[in-house]
Amino acid sequence: MFTSAKYVLSENYQNFHRIVSISKYELLADMRESKLGVFWNFANPAIQVLTYWFVFGYVFNRKDVQGIPYLVWMLGGMVVWFYVSPCITDGCNSVYKKVNVITKMKFPVSILPMTVVLEKLFDHFCLMIILIVIFVTQGYYPSVHWLGLIYYLFCTIIFSVSLSLTTSVLNMLARDTRKLILACMRLLLYLTPILWNIERIGGGRVAKIIMCNPIYYLVQGYRDCFFYHKGFLAYGWPMAWFWGITLALFFFGSYMMYKFKTRFIDMI
Amino acid sequence: MEKETAIKFENVSKIYKLKRKDKDVQKDQKTQYFYALKDISFDVKKGQVLGILGTNGSGKSTMALVLSGIASPDEGEITVNGEQALVAINTGLNKELTGLENIKLKGALLGLTEKRIGEITEGVAEFAEIGDFLYQPVKKYSSGMKSRLGFSINLCLDPDILIIDEALSVGDKGFAHKCLDRMKELKEEGKTIIFISHSLPQVREFCDTAMWLEGGKMKEYGTIDEVCDHYAEYIERYNTLTKAEKKAEREEKFKDRIIKNRKVSLMDRLFG
Repeated sequence: MFTSAKYVLSENYQNFHRIVSISKYELLADMRESKLGVFWNFANPAIQVLTYWFVFGYVFNRKDVQGIPYLVWMLGGMVVWFYVSPCITDGCNSVYKKVNVITKMKFPVSILPMTVVLEKLFDHFCLMIILIVIFVTQGYYPSVHWLGLIYYLFCTIIFSVSLSLTTSVLNMLARDTRKLILACMRLLLYLTPILWNIERIGGGRVAKIIMCNPIYYLVQGYRDCFFYHKGFLAYGWPMAWFWGITLALFFFGSYMMYKFKTRFIDMI
Repeated sequence: MEKETAIKFENVSKIYKLKRKDKDVQKDQKTQYFYALKDISFDVKKGQVLGILGTNGSGKSTMALVLSGIASPDEGEITVNGEQALVAINTGLNKELTGLENIKLKGALLGLTEKRIGEITEGVAEFAEIGDFLYQPVKKYSSGMKSRLGFSINLCLDPDILIIDEALSVGDKGFAHKCLDRMKELKEEGKTIIFISHSLPQVREFCDTAMWLEGGKMKEYGTIDEVCDHYAEYIERYNTLTKAEKKAEREEKFKDRIIKNRKVSLMDRLFG
């Protein structure tokens, strides 16, 4: 158990240059494909945010949430979802996508989830810029509390990598994994209190189950940094729960990686 | 003095699973197990240049994968002293990126450090003879250019054991010659090189020992001339056979490689 975790950690650490280069050139190649290039990294999330705002903020006419305009409140949580969601779907596919590389050369497979998560980080920063512009026009200015975002971003990265370690191996064993995940993503978006406030469903059993979702901790954390300013310690139990799940995923994912590291070639 | 061993194979077998998805096969014949390599034992000394010969489907490429440590054997033991690298030509090139960016990307994929990549860039561009195309996206390259670029980056690796699988079939004669020269340099540096090819002249010219694989089994392992002569004889004889005889021989070989009644654990059954 620990040998495999150590193996994954050291492989990721030793190949840091490899990870950065792969992410960088993957991103670059993606931009070269289209004429407008980096424009889409901004336009794509902006259009999606607009869609959700139109449906929920305008058509359903959602009122301010705890005194915060709906668009601003939604965006505060949506920003992390737009990072986690592609990390989960693409992370799951990360090993399979590189099948022609891992079957043709000696390659540290366990760095692949990390490359995807790092690549998506660029989009996250793009959306962050859009977010700051919207926030400023609405009168929410960056403050010292925003530094907490660094911690929550770190959490998001570790969570995405841990989950992708597991799913990417499972996806090699059976390609159904990716199909399952793609099908569940939309469900997960609505089950996570991103577009609606958790208080709307009261404090019953359903709310408790929904709060078990580790992504909820990230969403809540981002919003805390933007609006509530309660600090990390206000979320003691969710924090313990989140790290428990993340570490369990990490250990399980590393174990799978380690066990199957020379077997991937037989699974195509 | 006996030289140090670089690679040692002890009764190594590699088994592939063959699955038939069509309906008109009986249930017990749906999954078959197949020896890609069967019971192979040999060792390679440090600094030895070994050529691996064999017809199509004799297990050469599987051998390359097992040798380079990408695939692990199903039976038997492999001991390796030193770092192996398999020369992979077109792998990891991204067609949207320019030649220069691809050198950096592939260098990183192969695990070179940033500093080393900077050092080799010029040499690679020079060796691959791509000139001003260095700043063009690879999708505009001709297939020969692409292969030359890929191969040149690979030659800048500095492993102890170099495994080359059919690599010299890329590019024209001139380029193949240049590659052979470069490989001879590596040979003089005392690197262990395993050269997999079905081109007899190249193997004869370059290697000092040879192995002949046939039907997943090692048929012969010895000095270059001996093995090459026998292999040439075999090919000649095979070519004189009629179609039906050839087919019969192929089928017999295939049957020999199928494993009957293999016991498979539940784990493998699930994850196979």
